Parts: sequence; structure tokens; C-alpha cells
Amino acid sequence: MSSRETILARLRQNRPQGPALPDIDAVPFITFADKFDAFRTLVRNLGGDAVQLQPGETVQDIVAQRWPQHGRVADVTAANPERVTAPHDWHDVDIAIVPGELAVAESAAVWVSHAGNSQRALYFLTQKLVLVVPKDAIVDTMRDAYARVSIREHGFGGFISGSSRTADIEQSLVMGAHGAMAALVIFV
Amino acid sequence: MKHDNINHAKAAADFLQDREQARWHDSAIWWVRQKRDMQAKQLPEWEQLRALAQQIKAHTLSRLDEYLEQFQRNAEQNGVTVHWAADAEEHNRIVHGILAAANVKKLVKSKSMLTEECGLNPFLEQHGIEVIDTDLGERIVQLRHEPPSHIVMPAIHLKKEQISELFHKELGTEAGNNDPTYLTHAARANLREHFLSAGAGLTGVNFAIAETGGVVVCTNEGNADLGTALPAIHIASMGLEKIIPKQAHLGVFTRLLARSAIGSPITTYTSHFQQARPGGQMHIVIVDNGRSDILGSDDFYQSLRCIRCGACMNTCPVYRRSTGHSYSYIIPGPIGSTLGPSRDIRKHGSMAFACTTCGSCSNVCPVKINLHEQLVLQRKRAFDAGALKPAKKMGLLAMRFLTQHPSLMDAGGKLMRKVVPIVPQALTQHSAWSRPGRELPPMPAQSFKEMWQARKENKQ
Repeated sequence: MSSRETILARLRQNRPQGPALPDIDAVPFITFADKFDAFRTLVRNLGGDAVQLQPGETVQDIVAQRWPQHGRVADVTAANPERVTAPHDWHDVDIAIVPGELAVAESAAVWVSHAGNSQRALYFLTQKLVLVVPKDAIVDTMRDAYARVSIREHGFGGFISGSSRTADIEQSLVMGAHGAMAALVIFV
Repeated sequence: MKHDNINHAKAAADFLQDREQARWHDSAIWWVRQKRDMQAKQLPEWEQLRALAQQIKAHTLSRLDEYLEQFQRNAEQNGVTVHWAADAEEHNRIVHGILAAANVKKLVKSKSMLTEECGLNPFLEQHGIEVIDTDLGERIVQLRHEPPSHIVMPAIHLKKEQISELFHKELGTEAGNNDPTYLTHAARANLREHFLSAGAGLTGVNFAIAETGGVVVCTNEGNADLGTALPAIHIASMGLEKIIPKQAHLGVFTRLLARSAIGSPITTYTSHFQQARPGGQMHIVIVDNGRSDILGSDDFYQSLRCIRCGACMNTCPVYRRSTGHSYSYIIPGPIGSTLGPSRDIRKHGSMAFACTTCGSCSNVCPVKINLHEQLVLQRKRAFDAGALKPAKKMGLLAMRFLTQHPSLMDAGGKLMRKVVPIVPQALTQHSAWSRPGRELPPMPAQSFKEMWQARKENKQ
């Protein structure tokens, strides 16, 4: 017998009793009166920030104001975004501007998963990550979020909450472990 | 890898020699427990959330074979190759086979307690493959050639001065610069080079979803993401208990995991891998290594609900005062003290006694495992298996004899209350009750039983 058959046979034989699956929607979860405000308060504690685009303003204006001095920019929200042949080609990007599909108030997380090839590496290689989210695409909890998201970009999708961080040295919180050192969420 | 034959009590006593370090360890980890409490209190539904998680996991364990088969079918439809490993050795051989077939010379790894359990790193290194652990804490302990001391905070037993010295030697950082930001960013720069030049990336799995055939990996650092977005090969190693039925259930588990683990509402990255990137390969290795045996144990199968958050160790008064390195099994703390003895009671029997039975672990566990009850049952197994040191065994046998003979117990107590106060200090100062800061208490005039009887008579 293969290992697969041996393992499955033993699992079948050793089955414990178990309950039926619960209805996870039957329990009321927390809601927020002002979802944007909850999101912004939280993301500021997590090495990020959130702003709402004002009339007459563009995403590029906000980015330029925030980081007047910067290196290579990769804007995949542009009409004709730059293409690369290998994901490694994004290694020296300073600012990445990417679309975010949905924001979650309770966790300051933004769902990313779009149809282009090899954008995945960009989310994590860039030094500063700008997520552009439609302003009505914000939900209360992760349960609401999972009811709405779908995985598109070659079988990849992810929630990103603030900037990359670690506390592995004496529990001191340091922003910029491996991924982006700063995260800015712009609601448009 | 851990050395065999670590005795918890002995190793903990060694750790406690450095009182200042021990105090720091205790308070740093207690702070993580407090952050967990703050997060839990912000959610009115917290206890219901734990109950949902418990029910989903308990249901899944009752049909684990069906959900694993469904998971495999869906993963294969996504173009993912699924492998099954009966034990650690088969897991290591499968991983090596994938790497050798693609002529991979360097593997970047994100955190995976399973690969620690399997001893993957030394196996691959023997076969000439360079393995780079990329989680900062894991990298630190890898460079020090020691195992992680905590499943979420691998280097929590170290002070920044020790890490500074290590990085000076290994990465060429400035001597004496102990700034955590400086040290972290030095490691970032060094590990970026490894991410960009590796031939494959290996991750653990936090959740595997039967309905979609995808796996979810949670990190704060982004190392699992860089390690899978850059190299063309992604290998995900998972214990077979990581399965959950539906994607919607992540709406329960992602709310519990980081809050329980580190007191954050969520990890920075919660990444869902369902297919290889264009031109790449994705492999999933499903590992048993003793889990199917635990499933068949009425006393211990609930331990398979574990989502590896580490909340039980953060709250454990024994863990906080003894470090993970005092436990013989690779997973320390309360959950390790049931999983280790389940695997090998003779080797890990002492872990079952690293417990005050206070029950705090069971109360914080996000999937409500009856941890402290399991540890009591593991003690019984340790005794039956002859895994106790002779002195401990004799002590337990004497205690059993006394509790079965109440008059002897009464007489012994009376004698002790008379004798102990007149024993010279030189004889008592080496007892367990007479270490610095732990003075032998004065002997009471009466036993509890005598006080109780007197009280009853007074009432009448």
C-alpha cells in the first residue's frame, strides 16, 4: 500500500465522534459605526496610514506629497502598467502603487489579487506599498471579507495589514522586516 | 534538532541560575499574554468565536480522511502536485527529491515547526543543499545552531547583545551596535540576497482548505511571500490536521490566530496559495508522522485541533520561568507537553510534569483544547511506562501509600510538624523549599483535618 492509502485507512479507522459543522453566520460579530475611522486608527498602529482621496486630487498627488524624494515607481493602476519578464525585475522598486479590492475595518487588512502576471512579487519587494481601494469597498470583519473575495492572480490572493514587521529581537517592534517598510492605503 | 534526554526540571533549574535573564523572559512573555487579553476584550463575541473554532475543528477531525481526499482532488485540479508522507523520513526524502530533480542548490524557508519536527534542515544539508531560514527569529537560532525556544517567537530566550554579537560575526554588522532596528535591517539586506538567488521556497501551512485545494500562510515579516513569489518552486509542508472544510471558515480562524498568538488583530500578511505562479511549480506534502495514531486516542485526539498560536505557552507559569529549551520535544509549553509524550512517552515523560495544573492554558486556547487535563493523563502514562526518575517514582509511590492509609498520613503529618522546626538549618537549606527567596514556612500547630474537626465541634 502507498503511504497515502495507509494514512487514509488509519484515519478512517481512528475517526473520533464529532459535531456537525456550525453555522458561522448565526453569531453576531462586531460592527463599526465609522469603518474608515476604525481602519485608519488601527493601520496607524501597524506601520501604515490611510487617507481618503479629495475632489480634484489624484493618487499620484498624494504619493508625491508624502514621498517627494523617491526612487523607482511601479504603478500597476496606470492605464498601461510596466511589464517585467521575471518577478526578480521588481527588486529595486521604491514605491509600488497597486489596486486593493477590499478593506477590513477590524484588522486594517486589504485584499490584493488581480489578474496580471508576476505582480505578486511587487507587493513584497517594494520598499513602500500604496494600496488603492474603492471607498465603498470596506467591511466590518474578516467573515464579511471572506464572503466577498476571490482568488485571481494565478492562484494567489492575500490580505495585507500595515507594513512588514517583526519583534524577534527582545520583543522590540521594528517596521520593515522583509516586505514593505511603509504602507499607505488610499480610498478613492 | 534537540538533544535527547532533556529533563525538564533539571534544565529549568539551569536556566534559572541567571535570575535577571529569567525575570526578563517571564515578563516579556507575560506582556504578550496581556496583549492577547486586550484584543480578546475588544470583541464581544470572543468566547463564541472560540466555540465556533472548536466545533469546526472537532467536526473536521471526525471526517479527516474525507476532507483530505477532497483537498487533494481540488489541489490537483489547480495543477498542484500532492505528496503523502507517512513519517519524517519520507517527508525529507520527498522534499529532497523535488529539489534534486530541479537541481536546486539553495532553499529559502519560512517558519515551519513541522520541518523542525522532521529534522529537514540537517537532512538537506547532508545532501549538499544550502538551507536558509528566513524568519528573523529562526535565522538567529539557525546561525546559533540551536532549536527555536518558542513556536511563534523562536529567539525569545536571547538578549539583543547576544544577537548583536552573532550578527557581527556572521553578517559583519558593527561590533557593539545593539539597536534592534539596525540589526533587523541588516538581516533584511542579507536575506534579500538569498531570496533573489534561491532556487526554491518552502513554507509551512497555517490552514489548508478542502473546498479550494489552497493553503494559507500567515506571517508578519513577509518572508513566506518573498520566498514563494521569487523562486519558481514552492513546496508547502503540512501536518494532516491543518485542514479546514471551507474558505468561509477562515473568517473564524484568521480572527483568532494573531489575536491569540501575539495580541494583534491579524498578521501583516495572510496569503492564499492555490496555484503555482506562471512558469513555476507548487507542491504540497501532507505529513502524518504519528498524527493518525493520536487521532485514535480518546484521551489525546483533541490536541490535533491545535492551530499553533502559542497562547498556551505565553500564559503558562512554568514555561515562562523555564524557556522552551528546557522541554525535550521540539514544541514546548502545554501543547508540546501533550504532543511530545504522545509521540514518545519514555523520551518526553518529564514534560508532563512541567505543569501546575492551573488550567490557564485551556482557558486561553482558541480551539479550547483540554490541555491541563491531557497533561495529567500523560503523567499516568509516564509512570506506567517507567519514564520517571527513581526518586520521583519512589516519592509518588510513598504518597500513594500514605493517601491510601489515612491514619498513617495523620501520624506522619503530626511527626513532621514537631520535627521540622527543630531540624538544624544546615539540613533544610538544600530542600526544594529553601532556595533563595523561598523560605521554609513555619509549621502550623494543627493539620487542616484537625482544624476542620475543631470547627465542626464548635458549631454544634
